Amino acid sequence: MTATAETHRLTTARAMVDGIAAEMERDESVIYLGEDVGAYGGIFGSSTGLLDRFGATRVIDTPISETAFIGLGIGAAVEGMRPIVELMFVDFFGVCMDQIYNHMAKISFESGGNVKVPMVLTTAVGGGYSDGAQHSQCLWGTFAHLPGMKVVVPSNPYDAKGLMISAIRDDGPVVYMFHKGVMGLAWMAKNQRAIDVVPDGEYTVPIGRARVARSGASVTVVTVSLSVHHVLDVADKLAGDGVDVEVIDLRSLVPLDRDAIVSSVRKTGRLVVVDEDYLSYGLSGEVVASVTDVDPSLLRAPVVRVAVPDVPIPYAHDLEYAVLPRHDRIEAAIRAVAAA
Amino acid sequence: MTEVMFPALSKERPTAPGILVTWFVRDGERVAADQLLAEVQVDKVSVEVPAPAAGVIHLLVGEEAEVQQGTPIARIDG
Amino acid sequence: MTVPTAPPPAESPAPDGGPEKIDAETRVDLYRTMVLARTFEEAMLREYHSDKGPGFDIGKGLVPGEMHLAAGQEPVAAGVCAHLTSDDAVTATHRPHHFAIAHGVDLRRMAAEIFGRETGLGRGRGGHMHLFDPDRHFSCSGIIAEGYPPALGQAFAFQRKGTDRIAVAVTGEGAANQGAFHESLNLAALWKLPVVFVVEDNDWGISVPRAASTSVPSNAVRAAAYDMPGERVEDNAVEAVYAAAGRAVARARAGDGPSLIEVHTLRLWGHFEGDAQGYRKDIEDVPGRDPLPTYERTLRDAGLLDDAGVEQIRASAAARVEDAVTFAKESPAPDPAGALRYVFATGSSGGAA
Repeated sequence: MTATAETHRLTTARAMVDGIAAEMERDESVIYLGEDVGAYGGIFGSSTGLLDRFGATRVIDTPISETAFIGLGIGAAVEGMRPIVELMFVDFFGVCMDQIYNHMAKISFESGGNVKVPMVLTTAVGGGYSDGAQHSQCLWGTFAHLPGMKVVVPSNPYDAKGLMISAIRDDGPVVYMFHKGVMGLAWMAKNQRAIDVVPDGEYTVPIGRARVARSGASVTVVTVSLSVHHVLDVADKLAGDGVDVEVIDLRSLVPLDRDAIVSSVRKTGRLVVVDEDYLSYGLSGEVVASVTDVDPSLLRAPVVRVAVPDVPIPYAHDLEYAVLPRHDRIEAAIRAVAAA
Repeated sequence: MTEVMFPALSKERPTAPGILVTWFVRDGERVAADQLLAEVQVDKVSVEVPAPAAGVIHLLVGEEAEVQQGTPIARIDG
Repeated sequence: MTVPTAPPPAESPAPDGGPEKIDAETRVDLYRTMVLARTFEEAMLREYHSDKGPGFDIGKGLVPGEMHLAAGQEPVAAGVCAHLTSDDAVTATHRPHHFAIAHGVDLRRMAAEIFGRETGLGRGRGGHMHLFDPDRHFSCSGIIAEGYPPALGQAFAFQRKGTDRIAVAVTGEGAANQGAFHESLNLAALWKLPVVFVVEDNDWGISVPRAASTSVPSNAVRAAAYDMPGERVEDNAVEAVYAAAGRAVARARAGDGPSLIEVHTLRLWGHFEGDAQGYRKDIEDVPGRDPLPTYERTLRDAGLLDDAGVEQIRASAAARVEDAVTFAKESPAPDPAGALRYVFATGSSGGAA
């Protein structure tokens, strides 16, 4: 697509910031706080330029006290503000999970719906650049498992902006997980799919609605985030070999668009799930159950799940790429399921 | 005509070559003043380059090209 | 580098009058609040144990589950909340009833919540450790020290709105060894948030005495680490709590930032109901330290209360509490078909401010 007067080519990071800025412009109760979100602009570009535009009273650097500042976001949200709070790496949830899952996520329920927590928790996820076992995880399955939080995971600039605006406007807590590899960061591996045309004005992408990223007839691949890019690459390659891959980008994990999964599998009869989170007890199993709970006979071949085998993310490049769902493993899985 | 310069990004290493990471506009496109044109990088630091003026842009370097800080990367004909 | 300035001395002069300046009406009000809270706890004690048998089945009865009653700790809630309006926020602990009552949370809906009824504050979804009353900006948390951080956010929002509203955050002394406690004190002091941190030192973290958990004799000294005033009130003295809270609340309202108050209070009963307290060496002395008869004597000696006055206050409290208990018992239980409701907020509005 060529940019027009009403659209611009943007990186995912810049599109995310555009969404935040649009809402900050519209609603002065929206603030952004977290570690290094001010002058630095977010270490993964999640708040670049916001400080200059909105000032230090609305774009706020916090101490390294995740429990305190996430809790602060909760209290501010309870009092009617719409804070966006950044947890620098999702891997750091261990130092503040109580505020997230026992407070942010449960207050609506415990209060019988009398108290709302309109808050967005943004956090960087994912590996692929040798950051080791404590800075490379996705962990969205962990958050999606715990009730009370919506979980969104955009894979591209358009969704990054639209889901951000939806998340800010939601009257409950939304966890917004951005993969470092989809942000289009200059200092990471070049990723053309991280740059796309984005409308200038405000628009929303509905939370809980998957997107058919590529339509096809032979095999359904259900995936999310950076893996969407890898699967699309593989699908382009396999098209030449007569394997017509349909790619479902879930975009939201809570609520999960089970209908989109089932209707695609109803068409193809074959399912591969690609998930950069850990294999067991997680998203990939949930996707499969979404089909088998409805009708196991929809599947004409066994499902293959391509995920991180249950091992911490290794540091050395070759080891890390051996466990991440990369092109080679995705291609092998799709070929196997297509041939079965 | 207005030249678009690769900004002087590194105070520590002013002569270090930078990289034109991404063009957000196409050659020959009409751009508005302040519109985001490109992202450039020296070492781990990257910045956005906005349009210094409105007009039709002509790109002088390609993506991933090495560029000296402070040298032109595009020309805008107003 | 900025060198932190020393916090004001603990015995700083009281801007709004010390204990000697407290007026008669306020003194009787403090007593009235304490009696109401105690009457409520006695009713909960009675109802809780009325149908747990044979033996003791924690999941059984009209009021099932854990029950942490605050008898003995009334002076803290009464003394602090006397300075608050319904626009101020309070975040309390797993032992929350006295603070809820002192802050004016609706007794009927609170009782109904504890009885797990649809008319309760949380429509029966929360229970006695999870009481939320947005009309009073009141909440509590069952996780030690984790009620502190949300209070920061309420204070932050009040500050942003340009009001002089404040937030009171309550924990026990055991919580002062949690990370959330220290993170919150630092952040509140750093951003000069209008918060009053209250520590109820009832000597016991369930069965662990404070000497076995805490490196300092007074948590008030920990305030100095965050450049804020800290005071410790001894002897569960309600008027001393009132005076200390007056200073802290005034400071917060004036925009001068947070303060910390630790009150040496008393857990009159067990950690939870059913706690035999075999570990408790001070058990013999406990009844003699009950703050309620002590304060009643003080007010009688001052000529502010007589038999009739005491009787009137007790009768009024009993009537309100029994009305609340009756309301709870007569309220409908939640329909199991609605068990999945309220997980997510309905709708998306935006622009709430």
